[in-house]
Amino acid sequence: MTFFNVYTPLFELALFNALLAFSQYIVLRAGVFSLGTAAFTAMGAYCAGVMATQYGLPSWMGICAGTLLGAVAGVILSVPLARLRGVFQALATLALVQIVLSITLNWVSVTNGALGVNSIPRTVHLSHMLIAVAVVTYLLWAIGRSSIGRAFDIIREDETVAVSLGISVPKHHRIAFTLSGMIAGLAGALHAHASYSITPNEYGFHMLVMVLAMVVLGGRVSVAGPIVGAIILTSLPELLRAFDSYRTVVQGAVLMLSIVFLPRGVVDTALSWLRARRLKAGTATKEARA
Amino acid sequence: MLMQQLLNGIVVGSVYGVFALGFTLIFGVNHIMNMAHGAVFMWGAFAGLYAVTMLDVGFPGALLFGAVGGGLLSVLLDWVAFRPLRKRGASDFSAIVSSIGANLILLSLAQQLTQTRVMRFPFDTFPIKVYTIFGLRIQLLQLVIVGLVILMVLGLVWYLYRTSYGRQIRAVAFSEQTSRLLGINPVAINFQVFFISGALAGIAGVLIGLVFNSVHFMMGEPLLLRGFVVIILGGLGSIPGALIAGLLIGIVQTMTVAYISAGMADAIVFSLLFLVLLFRPKGLLGGASAAVRVNRQ
Amino acid sequence: MKALRLENIQRSFGGLPAVDGVSLTAPPGRITGLIGPNGAGKTTVVNLITGLLKVTSGRIMVGEDDMTEAEAPVLARAGVARTFQNIRLIGDATVLENVVSGFHRHEKVGMVANLIGLPAMFRERRELEERAYVLLERFGMTDLARHPAGSLSYGHQRRIEMMRALAMDPKVLLLDEPVAGMNDAEAYSLADIFRGVADQGVSILLIEHNMRFVMSLCEHLYVLASGRLISEGGPDHVANDPKVIQAYLGG
Repeated sequence: MTFFNVYTPLFELALFNALLAFSQYIVLRAGVFSLGTAAFTAMGAYCAGVMATQYGLPSWMGICAGTLLGAVAGVILSVPLARLRGVFQALATLALVQIVLSITLNWVSVTNGALGVNSIPRTVHLSHMLIAVAVVTYLLWAIGRSSIGRAFDIIREDETVAVSLGISVPKHHRIAFTLSGMIAGLAGALHAHASYSITPNEYGFHMLVMVLAMVVLGGRVSVAGPIVGAIILTSLPELLRAFDSYRTVVQGAVLMLSIVFLPRGVVDTALSWLRARRLKAGTATKEARA
Repeated sequence: MLMQQLLNGIVVGSVYGVFALGFTLIFGVNHIMNMAHGAVFMWGAFAGLYAVTMLDVGFPGALLFGAVGGGLLSVLLDWVAFRPLRKRGASDFSAIVSSIGANLILLSLAQQLTQTRVMRFPFDTFPIKVYTIFGLRIQLLQLVIVGLVILMVLGLVWYLYRTSYGRQIRAVAFSEQTSRLLGINPVAINFQVFFISGALAGIAGVLIGLVFNSVHFMMGEPLLLRGFVVIILGGLGSIPGALIAGLLIGIVQTMTVAYISAGMADAIVFSLLFLVLLFRPKGLLGGASAAVRVNRQ
Repeated sequence: MKALRLENIQRSFGGLPAVDGVSLTAPPGRITGLIGPNGAGKTTVVNLITGLLKVTSGRIMVGEDDMTEAEAPVLARAGVARTFQNIRLIGDATVLENVVSGFHRHEKVGMVANLIGLPAMFRERRELEERAYVLLERFGMTDLARHPAGSLSYGHQRRIEMMRALAMDPKVLLLDEPVAGMNDAEAYSLADIFRGVADQGVSILLIEHNMRFVMSLCEHLYVLASGRLISEGGPDHVANDPKVIQAYLGG
């Protein structure tokens, strides 16, 4: 049990990161290059934190409201953002992260500025995080197997084919943005209630890079990808304690090396390797029988 | 007071323009969004700083070392972060991710090297002279910066439009495939493009380091973020666009800091970016076409 | 049953006409040929019909509907399907998944069921896979269902494209060089399938470079050269038309 007690904060962090990675994953799967996860997370976190500390509302209300806020922000922003593509989407969402960051820093009466929101009741524990991750995993897995997931895959690979099959690209981009905002809002709200205090700078460029790294490393198609990515990148700093000061160098190197040498991510590469092996074995037995 | 702020805005904005010029050059030729360009800028500033403090080369030496340092680093970046992806024909997504990784590495190396300290150029690197013209206080440094920026822009335009190298670069920017058929060596072109853009960033680093009298490992990030705003506003790949938008952002930013609040500067600048992307994705002056929607074309 | 009718369509790129005043009709139940030398503008015609390119002038009719301005997904949902000259499959996905993607316009399960994984969604997925297997059977590729599409031979990939287009249950089918790179035996086995599809009342427009193949399959042909129609009629008429011979030989 002591093992669990010592590592509980780490598990919680890994689960939080897995939610963030899911938020990033779902947009990338649909071929949307959004970097907005950090912004939606900030919205969810601040919504829950402010509701709990300034209005004394129960945590579950704050968490629901935070999730809803993320989803609503996703819906609203998706309308203009679905018109853009590639780097333009990336830059617009990057600007969004900066705008939200400025708001949290400057709207002092609500957000308490750079000091952040403090003494948020710690009501969310490992078990809650586990449930949240399990539910989101199921939903994303199911979506991946549905008509929407099939459309996402085609849009990501080839938009021309997608439109030729009758798939509406803006509609699916909107769905992806909304899901991304919702998951990130949920993650932020849960995190606020799991960590006493939140500060604006948690939700900046650094989070954006971390989240992107998790999905790129893990994989962008299979649902297991973001989870594996989150676990690796959460435990990496622990494993690298000895090189503490060079942690970010390693993170950067992981990001670069994985996009260069493992462009599809650990999980998707492993899955396609397994599949190839199974198919080979299948044809071999068939030939042997014949 | 207003004129004074306008002047300060123009000086800072012209340096933003130079920074964004390199950024937009890489995009124009390689269609890469180089997220590590801010780190090149920062390392350029360090190269200039160390040249002054250790080799005692003075202001011109600082510029030279900043330019060469930034240029070489940028070429290295291309080899390590972009070339393997180009060979595979990977998407612009991969290039962004790869350069974010490179940016992280360069940033934390600088952090280790300087132990997170803020460094300064020695007091006598540039003579402090202030002229008063029509009640405006103009520093010699400001005049030199504006002069240098004009020189660099003219130099770049001359290089791109009056030399055979420039013609080749523009041919590759137009279509890499066609230019390959014409026998243009893309390796040489990429070397030039990345060197030039890195050198511009390095010089911008030295200049910004002098203007604000501080050089530190995080100095590239705000510039990179402003660089995005500048190139989107000016139109991706457009040289005059980058310059005009650079000036505009410099002015908007100084004005906001002076008259509204320092904290709001970012919010205003990025809201501007957001709005331009939504309503005029080609930038205010037009440039590379933003891929907008799959519609009948 | 819907005929495809082009009325004097024109499209220029940067002032140069790529397609210049083309009118043609592809009636239901027939395979209509559109042939021409390389660079004649055949693929541009396909892209104009399927909504990827805008016409400069002229009209595109599908049945009684004016589709000149319609966007690609609208056309697809109205039953206009196509294959691509340069094969465009999702290479990492399996053959089955590629074929299933063609059923998009027939998917009926609501958004909510899709989003939260209700049984209806899983049921629809199974049904579509079963229908995909029917197609795979017809093309003799059942054994390859679970293979990644990108790992298969050229001929197989062409078939997958065809199955994906047929999965749409099209009213109008545009085949852009469907047998390019195949040997004669493979090509003629596909020809039988095309005839079968046409017999069900589909209007097929077959775009080909290979004259012999088109001649054997189509009753009516249009010949395109430099963006203009230079000849039309039955195979015999077209094959002996001096203008056609000159276009093919003279380049």
